[in-house]
Amino acid sequence: MADPEVKIFDYEKVVIGEELGSYEYTLTQQMMDDFRASVEDPDAPFPTLGVKHDATAFAMVYDDPIGTVNAGNEVEFFNPPIVGKKIIVKGRISDKYLRRDKPYIVLEATAVDEDGRMLEKLSTYQLKKPDELGKKWHPEQQ
Amino acid sequence: MVSATEIKPGQEIPSVTKSITTDSILRFESCGILDRENIHNNPEMAAKRLGTTYTIASGRMSITFAAESMRKFFGPEVFNHTGTVNLKFLRPVKAGDTITVTGVVSGTEAVDGGTRVSVDLFCDNQDGNRTAVGIGTAVIS
Repeated sequence: MADPEVKIFDYEKVVIGEELGSYEYTLTQQMMDDFRASVEDPDAPFPTLGVKHDATAFAMVYDDPIGTVNAGNEVEFFNPPIVGKKIIVKGRISDKYLRRDKPYIVLEATAVDEDGRMLEKLSTYQLKKPDELGKKWHPEQQ
Repeated sequence: MVSATEIKPGQEIPSVTKSITTDSILRFESCGILDRENIHNNPEMAAKRLGTTYTIASGRMSITFAAESMRKFFGPEVFNHTGTVNLKFLRPVKAGDTITVTGVVSGTEAVDGGTRVSVDLFCDNQDGNRTAVGIGTAVIS
């Protein structure tokens, strides 16, 4: 059953600057190990990238039945997270625009740990019409 | 760790090459705190939403590969605290692909606390097709 707190996403109703709220979780050794194994880098310091802070904040507020494709990411690194520490994330929708008649939103999330250390700031450019990219990638299948 | 005086425009940063597998895509997705299906871990959803016959790797995997390349150049004590990566995704990355990240220093500028070095970043697959392009930066004190 759908979470009653989660709203159906409607691009037309999105307001630039809309807050997505905050959430927290504890970084586990398992998360760190899985992340490092997945990217074949035993020293990869930011498993937070695998948590997808901004997209997670969005998914906690919205159900998007159309789906999305990630068109780009911007990330700033401040301090690597520490296993066992609580991470607090705040998200928002920082922009919304049409490019070549395709709808985009920009999600943004900042993460600090329980000691107040700034960890990471992440932005994602989401194309809210994923079938358009499918047509571009595989025109023969349309 | 490199110093500002050693860095010149046109200088190449260490490249990294990664093999993308179904397991690596799924394992990356398993790092999330929500248990949800998406175009990265559910082939039916990828088919429905993208029209593809395969799932695609998260763009954040390419961000991580580019960050590794930058970290190897600047050193973790610099890049992990001042680094940025900005990528635009151009083509899908899927299981069976091999992605190579390369980068070239594009410029330097004086900023508070040191010198910001900019690097043009490129991700290419095994066929020589560009999958992502962008810019990374770090500040050397």
